[in-house]
Amino acid sequence: MKLKEVDRTAMQAWSPAQNHPIYLATGTSAQQLDATFSTNASLEIFELDLSDPSLDMKSCATFSSSHRYHNLIWGPYKMDSKGNVSGVLIAGGENGNIILYDPSKIIAGDKEVVIAQNDKHTGPVRALDVNIFQTNLVASGANESEIYIWDLNNFATPMTPGAKTQPPEDISCIAWNRQVQHILASASPSGRATVWDLRKNEPIIKVSDHSNRMHCSGLAWHPDVATQMVLASEDDRLPVVQMWDLRFASSPLRVLENHARGILAIAWSMADPELLLSCGKDAKILCSNPNTGEVLYELPTNTQWCFDIQWCPRNPAVLSAASFDGRISVYSIMGGSADGLRQKQVDKLSSSFGNLDPFGTGQPLPPLQIPQQTAQHSIVLPLKKPPKWIRRPVGASFSFGGKLVTFENVRMQSQQGAEQQQQPRPVFISQVVTEKEFLSRSDQLQQVVQSQGFVSYCQKKIDASQTEFEKNVWSFLKVNFEDDSRGKYLELLGYRKEDLGKKIALALNKVDEPDVCIKEGKQESEFLPPAGRTFNISVSGDIDGLITQALLTGNFESAVDLCLHDNRMADAIILAIAGGQELLARTQKKYFAKSQSKITRLITAVVMKNWKEIVESCDLKNWREALAAVLTYAKPDEFSALCDLLGTRLESEGDILLQTQACLCYICAGNVEKLVACWTKAQDGSSPLSLQDLIEKVVILRKAVQLTQAMDTNTVGVLLAEKMSQYANLLAAQGSIAAALAFLPENTNQPNIVQLRDRLCRAQGQPVPGQESSKIPYERQQLPKGRPGPMAGHTQMSRVPAQQYYPHGENPPPPGFIMHGNVNPNATTAQLPTSPGHLHTQVPPYPQPQRPQNGWNDPPALNRVPKKKKIPENFMPPVPITSPIMNPLGDPQSQMLQQQPSAPLPLSSQASFPQPHLPGGQTFHGIQQPLGQPGMPPSFSKPNIEGAPGAPIGNTIQHVQSLPTEKITKKPIPDEHLILKTTFEDLIQRCLSSATDPQTKRKLDDASKRLEFLYDKLREQTLSPTIINGLHNIARSIETRNYSEGLTIHTHIVSTSNFSETSAFMPVLKVVLTQANKLGV
Amino acid sequence: MVSVINTVDTSHEDMIHDAQMDYYGTRLATCSSDRSVKIFDVRNGGQILIADLRGHEGPVWQVAWAHPMYGNILASCSYDRKVIIWKEENGTWEKTHEHTGHDSSVNSVCWAPHDYGLILACGSSDGAISLLTYTGEGQWEVKKINNAHTIGCNAVSWAPAVVPGSLIDQPSGQKPNYIKKFASGGCDNLIKLWKEEEDGQWKEEQKLEAHSDWVRDVAWAPSIGLPTSTIASCSQDGRVFIWTCDDISSNTWSPKLLHKFNDVVWHVSWSITANILAVSGGDNKVTLWKESVDGQWVCISDVNKGQGSVSTSVTEGQQNEQ
Repeated sequence: MKLKEVDRTAMQAWSPAQNHPIYLATGTSAQQLDATFSTNASLEIFELDLSDPSLDMKSCATFSSSHRYHNLIWGPYKMDSKGNVSGVLIAGGENGNIILYDPSKIIAGDKEVVIAQNDKHTGPVRALDVNIFQTNLVASGANESEIYIWDLNNFATPMTPGAKTQPPEDISCIAWNRQVQHILASASPSGRATVWDLRKNEPIIKVSDHSNRMHCSGLAWHPDVATQMVLASEDDRLPVVQMWDLRFASSPLRVLENHARGILAIAWSMADPELLLSCGKDAKILCSNPNTGEVLYELPTNTQWCFDIQWCPRNPAVLSAASFDGRISVYSIMGGSADGLRQKQVDKLSSSFGNLDPFGTGQPLPPLQIPQQTAQHSIVLPLKKPPKWIRRPVGASFSFGGKLVTFENVRMQSQQGAEQQQQPRPVFISQVVTEKEFLSRSDQLQQVVQSQGFVSYCQKKIDASQTEFEKNVWSFLKVNFEDDSRGKYLELLGYRKEDLGKKIALALNKVDEPDVCIKEGKQESEFLPPAGRTFNISVSGDIDGLITQALLTGNFESAVDLCLHDNRMADAIILAIAGGQELLARTQKKYFAKSQSKITRLITAVVMKNWKEIVESCDLKNWREALAAVLTYAKPDEFSALCDLLGTRLESEGDILLQTQACLCYICAGNVEKLVACWTKAQDGSSPLSLQDLIEKVVILRKAVQLTQAMDTNTVGVLLAEKMSQYANLLAAQGSIAAALAFLPENTNQPNIVQLRDRLCRAQGQPVPGQESSKIPYERQQLPKGRPGPMAGHTQMSRVPAQQYYPHGENPPPPGFIMHGNVNPNATTAQLPTSPGHLHTQVPPYPQPQRPQNGWNDPPALNRVPKKKKIPENFMPPVPITSPIMNPLGDPQSQMLQQQPSAPLPLSSQASFPQPHLPGGQTFHGIQQPLGQPGMPPSFSKPNIEGAPGAPIGNTIQHVQSLPTEKITKKPIPDEHLILKTTFEDLIQRCLSSATDPQTKRKLDDASKRLEFLYDKLREQTLSPTIINGLHNIARSIETRNYSEGLTIHTHIVSTSNFSETSAFMPVLKVVLTQANKLGV
Repeated sequence: MVSVINTVDTSHEDMIHDAQMDYYGTRLATCSSDRSVKIFDVRNGGQILIADLRGHEGPVWQVAWAHPMYGNILASCSYDRKVIIWKEENGTWEKTHEHTGHDSSVNSVCWAPHDYGLILACGSSDGAISLLTYTGEGQWEVKKINNAHTIGCNAVSWAPAVVPGSLIDQPSGQKPNYIKKFASGGCDNLIKLWKEEEDGQWKEEQKLEAHSDWVRDVAWAPSIGLPTSTIASCSQDGRVFIWTCDDISSNTWSPKLLHKFNDVVWHVSWSITANILAVSGGDNKVTLWKESVDGQWVCISDVNKGQGSVSTSVTEGQQNEQ
């Protein structure tokens, strides 16, 4: 197919292969005149612009030359691969001259474009060739057997390849060998070809068929085979191309007799040695395979002879031919439609009439040259044999599951077809694994899910954490699997029970140090009368008196008001307690309105149970504190919502650090979906490992939620589903199809997930049972009627319910902790009111399939080994761990079982705490729980009131409500230690009777109560002998009223013992001793 | 690690030019200069010849599997200027359609994303690209882009079906507003992007110019939900470029040189997750490339006869980032 044409009678030279863009240089041909008889000569450069569909070639430069040319070549001399230097144009002139031009200067329009010139030759220089190995070497041939080798680096003095051949003859062709750089061949119209060895500086072989009819017009070496060359004959009597092999140079190896008249030029493709172009006086341009003689292609040409033909070195499908009708044409041998060309010519013809459509028929003018037109209508076929350059020899393609399909075709050593056929032609299917760490981590995760070893997994993660944040997240996750999760959360937030106890004790000691003023004559109105003393009820007119009167008349409200007015806050509160819940609430409010200390808002929130207030309005710098408060106090049903709320606030904060902390809140809340969202926002989730980071956390958190809340966590939010399918895709891409299936969310009908599942199942090579057509998550489009619009597949797909393809009816009931309503009716009722972490946000937007399901993160093995984890017959779902301290010493499992019987049943330990016999009845119910778990349903209360965790302001309230604990019947104190109790209590009583100051009395009351801790420890016999001994020593010093000695012993005990062991009672004991010392009882 | 899990002896009698697995990775289609197309069942490491498809009269260059929602359909293209669509019916493979609309070698076939229906793009040495759309009842509608690439189109590759907007808030039940696009590469050294206009005509949307020789292959990366579009191209000039467009509305593509090889690069193929590029060069070399965290493309493996080790430096880099 013709691509371009230029109307020039000229020699032609393509720019070297390295050059981009492709140029074609033309130099006015010698010994040819066109009809103008002009003898002007020029050197022109055109650019081959294939993106321009027109037939015109873009002229880049024209240089008016004083020479006409017999030959023109473009050598890559000094050209680098980047094509910065455009090489050198070498022209053979009429008078024995060789001229070197700089093409870049011609293109630039410079006047001085000649690099060098030498006219050493005799006669016209018809033969020129550049050595492809040393591009500075140019061979030239002229008359009188003259052959010169020019070194472009030293152009002045050419070399000769050896002695001139005799008799002298014209050199018509010259060619460097394509394999061996010092071999050169020359040929002459006489039919002889000579091969020169430049190292020996002599001709080494002469090739001739002795027919005397070979008039050599063309000579070319085989591009690949060093010993083979072709010679073309111009003689009409022998219009052949002879292929010679120098290994048996007595006669030609093959003779190509495809032309009817003499051959004017040949060109052998460097890109495919099976393509040899030849043009002859029969006006044909043929492309033949010189190895077989077969004609592969005949170019559609006009009837003119071509005298020069050249392959484009850079674009192997392109060639140019110069014809005697004064035209250079550029063709492609790849065939193609001639439509474009025809159109061009029609346009040209029509436009010569000045109008494309002179008759207004809407049709262009019919072509004028009808016969020619029909010829051009025909489609130009490509080469019979595909050229080498379009035969793809190698390929590697990815396919699903991280597989790589590769093939390669080993270069053929010989051209014998038979051998090729026997060659094995394998295709390799390989597994590509690039994310080893990702895979091994994913493996670990699966194993953990299988083995349920969550705690140790989390611990490993904590140990391996590189950042504090990572460590925190894992610590938080780990807590989910431990008892007392809330308490541990608090610890993680920096509220360690022991530490706090220590701090509080220290603080209390400090307060106690200064002397306590004792005021006589004033007595508090108390409902708990000090033992055995009468008191005076004053009804005087002062505040005391008024209060007394109000009390006597039962007007608590007024009494409270009076107290408040007089700033007797404690009195006011105590009275309000007696006055009933309403009054108490009002009093609290008034108190808070009045009191303006820094922690008021916190106290307010604690008392009013308004955690939302804290979470909503705390300074986000204090998010830890807010979270701690929520952990301590929030009711199960509001717990997760509060954590969520705090998380949301943190997330919306601009501070990136805070944003990430929101993750911790979501972990506490058990809100997987939000964790995913937050994590994704904070971390780049695109790399496999960071996705792995996320998935690990999500899987663990979901497991935790499952375990602690006995929830069916199969429901997957949109975002999580997206992440999980991304994860599954990554696993699949690494070849872990089974793992990918295991992690893929199951009960979703998101089309992409359903499709992926189907793809994974089939990729595993396991045909899904059932009807073939029903298994594919697409509606089979056997014969889509009408236009298959974008709708066709897509919407149908999404309508197909998932279970249609994965009949889960066959699956056994799911193992593990996933409970379903029908397993145990009690389970539902038991868990309903007490699922603190219930993920409201995960309520599925679509109806849930009514079938038992396995968790997506359950290992697939469980599907097939359903009984691996048997559900005990009396199994009940574990009660949510809502209390910070369940029973630190107890076995969690037994405890859970203990708590099974439905919620209302009080625990035995709880029963041992009688309700306080307060006048207000249940006034205190709201805060009567041991600190750290107010608002907890009674059944989940703890038996142990030690160490209210992290309630910094809790003590004052506790004292009020804990007074009556003495009446509790407990395990007896061992006899040998009973003396301690009697001694200490006696001392307190003595102090109380002699103390007059209410503050002191309060302190002593408090002390009396707090010593219960000591007595408890005595009952449990958990104190170390040293402490016991020390206590006995103190008791003895009390007997002897030597309180200062007692204090010394006390100090000794405190300084030598474990603080956490003694912190609950030692400071109190010190208070008592100090008071006793002061009072001198 | 690249390890051979199956060596399929194709028994082709001449050069193999393409080998493609189906959607599930369970069947392998190969084509060869011996004019045949073969289909193997390669499940579980086996190799069972399912079909030996004869019909082409010249070397077969490429094969392409249609999405399974349309059944088991394979397209092949050949030097004989034909495109043949093969279909499995009741367990036997047969020619279901033959497209003879090209005047020269058909070098590349590629099925459009299944969301669009059954559409096949074909690139030919006659410079044209044709688009075959199945319209039902065995009928295929042909659209042709003439002069897409002067003297030849070597490769076509469809853009993934992405609805403007993210994957997540895809409205269900509503007709997605797909914009159909594909890329082509040719002997004019250009990569061209084509877009279907509202009137159903294909229009050249963009010319990507960086190669200095024939573009041998283009591969539009699968969508992984990111807004960035990516195309890989390889050329006779030995260069492989990664083209990215961050904003599809501005349609500005910037090339990044992946590597300059010393030989022709014939083929580029993205992994399904679009993070690894397999590059097949002359001299039978296959290399795997991955973008490192700093945005550089790094060769992670040399694959020889299906075997190769994977350097972990890139992966480690990601770990350090964590």
